[in-house]
Amino acid sequence: MSLSFFVPELVLIVGIILLIGIGLRKKQYPPLLTFLSLLLFSFSFLCYVFTWRIYVTPQKIFNGFLRSDDFSAFLKMLFDVAGILTVLMTWRKQKEQRYLPEYYALLFAIVLGAHLLVMSMNLIMVFISLELISISAYVLTGFSFSKKGAEGSMKYFLFGSVASAVMLYGFSMLYGLTGTLDFSSAEFIDHLLGKNSTLFFIAALMALAGFLYKIAAAPLHLWAPDVYEAAPMPIVAFFSVVPKLAGIGVLTKFILAINIFGQSAFDWQFIISLVSILSLTVGNFSALLQKNPKRLMAYSSIAQSGFLLAGVAAFLPQGVHFMLFYATVYMFVNFLVFVYLQYFESYGFSSLESFSGAGRTHVWPSILILIGFVSLTGLPPTAGFTAKFFVFSSLWEAYHLSGKNILLWLLIFGLLNTVVSLFYYLRIPYYTFIKEAESGTKTNFLAFENLLGFVLVLLVFVLFFYPGLLMGWINKINFVL
Amino acid sequence: MQEILLSLLLFTPLLAALVSLFFPATAIQLFRYTTLVANIAQAFFLILLLGSYQNSAGLQFVEHQPWITMDLGSWGTLKAEYFIGIDGLSMPLVVLSVFIMLIATISSWTILKNVKGYFILLLILNTAIIGSFVALDFLLFYLFFEFMLLPMFFLIALWGGPRKEYASIKFFLYTLLGSILILIVMIGLNLSVHDPSISGQLVHSFNIIHMSSPINFISFSILDPHNAWQIGLYNARQWAFLLLFFGFAIKLPMVPFHTWLPDAHVEAPTPISVILAALLLKVGGYGLARIAFPIFPDATIYFGGFIGVMGVISIIYGGLNALSSKDLKRLIAYSSISHMGFVLLGFASLTAEGVVGSIYQMFSHGIISAMLFLLAGVLYDRTNNRMIANYSGLYSKMPWYAVMIIVAFFASMGLPGFSGFIAEIMVFLGAFKSNSVQGPLHESIAITATLGLVLAAAYYLWTLQRMFFGPFNLKGDITSDQMFDLNKREFIMLIPLAAAALFFGIYPQPMIAIIDPFAKHFAEFVIGAGKSLTLNP
Repeated sequence: MSLSFFVPELVLIVGIILLIGIGLRKKQYPPLLTFLSLLLFSFSFLCYVFTWRIYVTPQKIFNGFLRSDDFSAFLKMLFDVAGILTVLMTWRKQKEQRYLPEYYALLFAIVLGAHLLVMSMNLIMVFISLELISISAYVLTGFSFSKKGAEGSMKYFLFGSVASAVMLYGFSMLYGLTGTLDFSSAEFIDHLLGKNSTLFFIAALMALAGFLYKIAAAPLHLWAPDVYEAAPMPIVAFFSVVPKLAGIGVLTKFILAINIFGQSAFDWQFIISLVSILSLTVGNFSALLQKNPKRLMAYSSIAQSGFLLAGVAAFLPQGVHFMLFYATVYMFVNFLVFVYLQYFESYGFSSLESFSGAGRTHVWPSILILIGFVSLTGLPPTAGFTAKFFVFSSLWEAYHLSGKNILLWLLIFGLLNTVVSLFYYLRIPYYTFIKEAESGTKTNFLAFENLLGFVLVLLVFVLFFYPGLLMGWINKINFVL
Repeated sequence: MQEILLSLLLFTPLLAALVSLFFPATAIQLFRYTTLVANIAQAFFLILLLGSYQNSAGLQFVEHQPWITMDLGSWGTLKAEYFIGIDGLSMPLVVLSVFIMLIATISSWTILKNVKGYFILLLILNTAIIGSFVALDFLLFYLFFEFMLLPMFFLIALWGGPRKEYASIKFFLYTLLGSILILIVMIGLNLSVHDPSISGQLVHSFNIIHMSSPINFISFSILDPHNAWQIGLYNARQWAFLLLFFGFAIKLPMVPFHTWLPDAHVEAPTPISVILAALLLKVGGYGLARIAFPIFPDATIYFGGFIGVMGVISIIYGGLNALSSKDLKRLIAYSSISHMGFVLLGFASLTAEGVVGSIYQMFSHGIISAMLFLLAGVLYDRTNNRMIANYSGLYSKMPWYAVMIIVAFFASMGLPGFSGFIAEIMVFLGAFKSNSVQGPLHESIAITATLGLVLAAAYYLWTLQRMFFGPFNLKGDITSDQMFDLNKREFIMLIPLAAAALFFGIYPQPMIAIIDPFAKHFAEFVIGAGKSLTLNP
């Protein structure tokens, strides 16, 4: 019975085994590996599209360790799409990538971990799936096989293990307090209801720290820039989306569980809002100083975590819906930017200064990456604007309902940070279009990146002019604890 | 045809931009003429529009199409519409936009670098400007409003002068900050306003007309006029008004948010300076009159005196700065700030005369500042130098140029017979009358503002004397063979502008007849609704 809700995950597991099996052979054929990965991710994705109705009703599976519902199904679809886009990005340099089968197998492992994480209802399961993501991610960070890669991978591992340990410690205390590991159960909630002990606060805070680490929210963001700088470009794009959204998904469930419909003795809304404000400010202001596009995008992703958390911080069902909309748009736009960063990297543009004059030689990539940055800033007519507009609406409404001042501050900080973010998001377009350089030869417009970029840009525009297409679907999602 | 006339006017440039995308980058003439044809087509649509425009009929040529309708569950429905129309406030500004964009295109013949990109951006800018003047849905307005920024940023940053990077980024950050302030209020209004045309369910509307009526606010929503929240010093409605006011005041620009303007003007190429002064600044004034004042009439009355004082500060501070400017373009930029102060003053008076004066001032300043910046551009084209101190006695070498500059200076000074005079006299009439009809302005504010006229006379006459009279002499590395009189293309641009400044100064009736019904209704509505909301909250 449980297995019928588990088909996509089984597909992913088959993928891991197959790819490792192929990896054992001495001679590999890269296009075959890419095609196989593409096929399996698409299959997993299509499972959700064609059998959507079986995920609509929440269903506990595997003795309550996991639960299948439409909130997690939607996020899992996003992970699969991110997987597809990552494989497409890798396709351009599949020949250069060493250990390609293992590379793809680890990708599958992370997506599988993300799938499990957003379905988890049990703290043990949360820990296991989070570790599945983390350990695979530590290894993938080093897949550029350079000194920098090893350094980044090591840093990620050290920070990550401490965060996991802290989180596990928090879990163990929560278990001691409630006597159960299922954080959606009545037992868990009953024991925490009105519990005014510092121990509960510390335990929950420690557990949260693990999630915040995963989504790179300040003050647990320190690993992100080094890891982003070290990893290969498709992996960076992948990291900025999949582990982050998976972390946000489980964090939403967890925070609403310990909040107990506002009956908790501690103000968790305040904590989340504070983290959100901090991430926005730290991310945006640090990004102003960056000289490397990857590090710039790392800080950008920290700031974007702040916006995702702002959607959660409203503590409203509508806020969760808007967060999902934001997450979808963020995924498309982020991949749009990274597709072109990889494209430019392959032409030797690796620091911000080196982009000088690229607008002349690479006309279309420069224009499309500009649209990506404009959308990340959140200006109309791009979907980034719609997404930000929705998140701010839910904050405004939450402020109206609860009257908590922190929500107003979050609103103000979020809006002002939009102005700050414009400054660094326009750095690359500034170099490409405005700085002059000795002109090279014009490049061919008909590149694969331009096709992919064009599709993504189209999505960015369509979701601005017809947000109902996506929002209508998201609105049907019934978020249950 | 009649039903979609306004859309045709609005989207012709965008269509031309799309077509231009497919031309090869080397076909320079093709881009110039495509843009010119689009401008002439717009002028044609505008004449049709004026032909069947009825002065007293209020909103006309309304187009109303559903755009975004989204069910948000327990929140009700979110609704944005494609809702455009034209009335006595937007008509003068649309006329001005079409006219100025045509002149700017002719002036753009001197652009030789990356012509394709330039004209495509110019066409997009055209649609964005006219769009923000005709949009009646807040989200649609915001779309056009923001969409002006990016083309303008690139037009300054790519085709500008030596400090173009600094100037363009400063321009972008200031105006983006302004539009973020507007965005906050837009979200709040959307959550607080209900569409009365649909009964039985909660529909959050962006319709500006609905927002302007206090009965459409949802009870106990954050901006409900009968139950507004207190946040710190003011209530939520007053905060919202202040945010909108500062958002648009940055665009206007009002002292002390004006510092982006001189930099942007000095660095921008001539046609862009013209558009910036003649059209972009007007969007600020338009936003105040269309959005900030009618939606929050109670707060308008509360802050009316403050707005008037800010207007006077802009008039005088702008004038003093102009007096001390060494660069001709900077002088004109500061005089723009001074003149936009009159717009604030007229609106703040909340009298029919004052509002007519403000709208007339926007129209007239559009024409005159365009002329001034074109003239400054003429000099810069010849010598690459705009320092006032480097020239003297130009009258003997360039008589026609001097004549044009005298016309433009006198018009800008507000000499009787030019359009600026009509505008300023109306503003003063309104400002003096305000106190006696329970408007927010005291007479002393109006008296102080007259100082601005003296300053304008001082800096213009002094500049005339320094640059154009006395013995012919050039300093710096300018040689006298660079100095030659106006050519045919420059005459084609300047003569219509000079004629318009004269025509609307001698016979203002056609334009006033368009503005007056709006102004009367506006003043009565804001005072009436504002008082009633303040007295019985």
